[in-house]
Amino acid sequence: MTAFIIRRILWTIPVLLLVIFLTFVMMKQIGGNPFRRTERAVPVAIQQNLERKFNLDEPWYVQYALYVKGVFTFDLGPSLVSRDRTVNDIIREHAPKSLELGFYAMLWAIVLGIPAGVIAALRHNSIFDYGLMFFSNVGFAVPSFLVATLLIYYVALKWGLVPTNGWTTWESKILPSFALGLLPMAYFARLVRGSMLETLQQDYVRTARAKGLRQRRIIVRHVLRNSLIPAITAIAPLLGFIITGSFVIEVIFSIPGIGRYFVTSVSSRDYSVVMGITVLTSVVIVLANLVVDILYGILDPRTREART
Amino acid sequence: MSTTDPRDAVVAEPAVPEVVAGAGAHAGAPMARASLWRDAWRRYLQNKGAVIAGAIFLLIVLFCLIWPIISPHDANKVDLTQARQGPSLEHPLGTDAFGRDMLTRVALAGRISLAIGLGATVAILVFGVIYGSTAGFFGGRLDNIQMRLLDALYGLPYLPFAIILLAIIGTINMWTMILALSIASWFTAARIVRGQIITLKQNDYVRAAQALGARWYRILSRHLLPNTLGVLIIAMFLELPGVILGEAFLGFIGLGISPPDASLGSMAEEGRSEYRANPHIMFVPGLAIAILVLCANFIADGMRDALDPRTRETKEG
Repeated sequence: MTAFIIRRILWTIPVLLLVIFLTFVMMKQIGGNPFRRTERAVPVAIQQNLERKFNLDEPWYVQYALYVKGVFTFDLGPSLVSRDRTVNDIIREHAPKSLELGFYAMLWAIVLGIPAGVIAALRHNSIFDYGLMFFSNVGFAVPSFLVATLLIYYVALKWGLVPTNGWTTWESKILPSFALGLLPMAYFARLVRGSMLETLQQDYVRTARAKGLRQRRIIVRHVLRNSLIPAITAIAPLLGFIITGSFVIEVIFSIPGIGRYFVTSVSSRDYSVVMGITVLTSVVIVLANLVVDILYGILDPRTREART
Repeated sequence: MSTTDPRDAVVAEPAVPEVVAGAGAHAGAPMARASLWRDAWRRYLQNKGAVIAGAIFLLIVLFCLIWPIISPHDANKVDLTQARQGPSLEHPLGTDAFGRDMLTRVALAGRISLAIGLGATVAILVFGVIYGSTAGFFGGRLDNIQMRLLDALYGLPYLPFAIILLAIIGTINMWTMILALSIASWFTAARIVRGQIITLKQNDYVRAAQALGARWYRILSRHLLPNTLGVLIIAMFLELPGVILGEAFLGFIGLGISPPDASLGSMAEEGRSEYRANPHIMFVPGLAIAILVLCANFIADGMRDALDPRTRETKEG
């Protein structure tokens, strides 16, 4: 087991290097030199100084090595547009809000989605079951901006229960996190329901029944434990959904998070910020995959062999 | 490492049905191939949800194709005296901020969204087949390298990746949109094809072909790829919703197709600034996306049941 974990952790390093490299190559493709894009004519000497300051006069592999060094020492360089701030400052200011938003969204999804899936499986083919399946189909299909604006329109504007935007009081956090959590919620509910139904048909559950164990004990000890494993692996892909969704949700609710800042950075061509945010989210995704794989290896020993 | 990866869960089992031709109906062996698809079709028709979804999907496609031609309104004609009207007989879905007929516009935007969706899906499958079949077929070190690269690509966040790609390309239109979205999301298709090829490779008929001295490209193109068709069809309808939603997101945050053309996403973006006063301008395209995606999901479910009978028992209990 330890060997598996160590191998898996070591494997993360080349993946990270490759991800950073891919992002780096892409950013190089976008625009040559950001300082030649300004309308003002910048004297050649200043331009050269600027290039030297940001290491743009070095060959690409040196730039890459410097950037990798920066990433691993938590220094993502200066912002190209807001000159007095570094990418670190920007991330430090905006990322916590996005993190909080994503965390609450996941909380909604887990707290409502998993129990709903469990109940639907226990009451298979009941009205609740059908209702939940209907809800989860809709939850998958409706784009998050539609959910978000519908919620704002009715809950915030018509009924006036919560503020329409911002990320300040706890009331203002309810709608955005719920809107973002809806898709993971549908995902969890469906996944848990499916794996519960499968587990319920297993022989060991029948054995437990035959032994005369109480229903509650069977469900908690034998069924739930095995049914929740897929839900854990789902966290990694769901993280992708949440990151994608948070861009849209932050824009709609005017939350000063990292997603909204990314969108503005793209239009203002602040490439170092774009790159920093992309690399940061990649690192988060890669690390989440790592954690999920290790958890999965602990929970389900069969998978250890097949994975690096 | 990827053989039991949970991300492959959808297709963890080889998904090509080994359906025997319907009992005795066609005793002659040559019919077996045709009736495999006939069988699948029959199973698809048994799934009511999938049939209804398929019908609605077709109707929407037809509507988007035909309505802009026969509509009494010009989708791009600005008439400020008619701006921001609610639904009426004249304009069944109302008008937008420029007095343009929403019904005609949503059909036109639907065309573009569908074209982007289908175009990107096809591109995803092409990338996926090329990449996945080389990795799966040749195996060994090449497979290893390719899969490592895929692992890294999986680390890139989808939307930022697509946004950066659009920035690299520089212009935003239907074709660049297709390119950016497909490059940002072909990985799953590649894994699916690879897994499928690896399983198929172990079949006796492949060994027989090898024994007969068939070249690798013949084995690949004649024995392996045709058998991945089933998974590819399923994958197509699994990818479609993601692409349509991805395009909608890009459009919605202002990186969509530029006016006067519109996709469903950029149409929703136009309504964003005034959804408080005139919600219909945003809700109409948003709802259209939801219906399209809902249909595609049901069709994908139906296809999976039809083409891979083994998943049925575990899935819906």
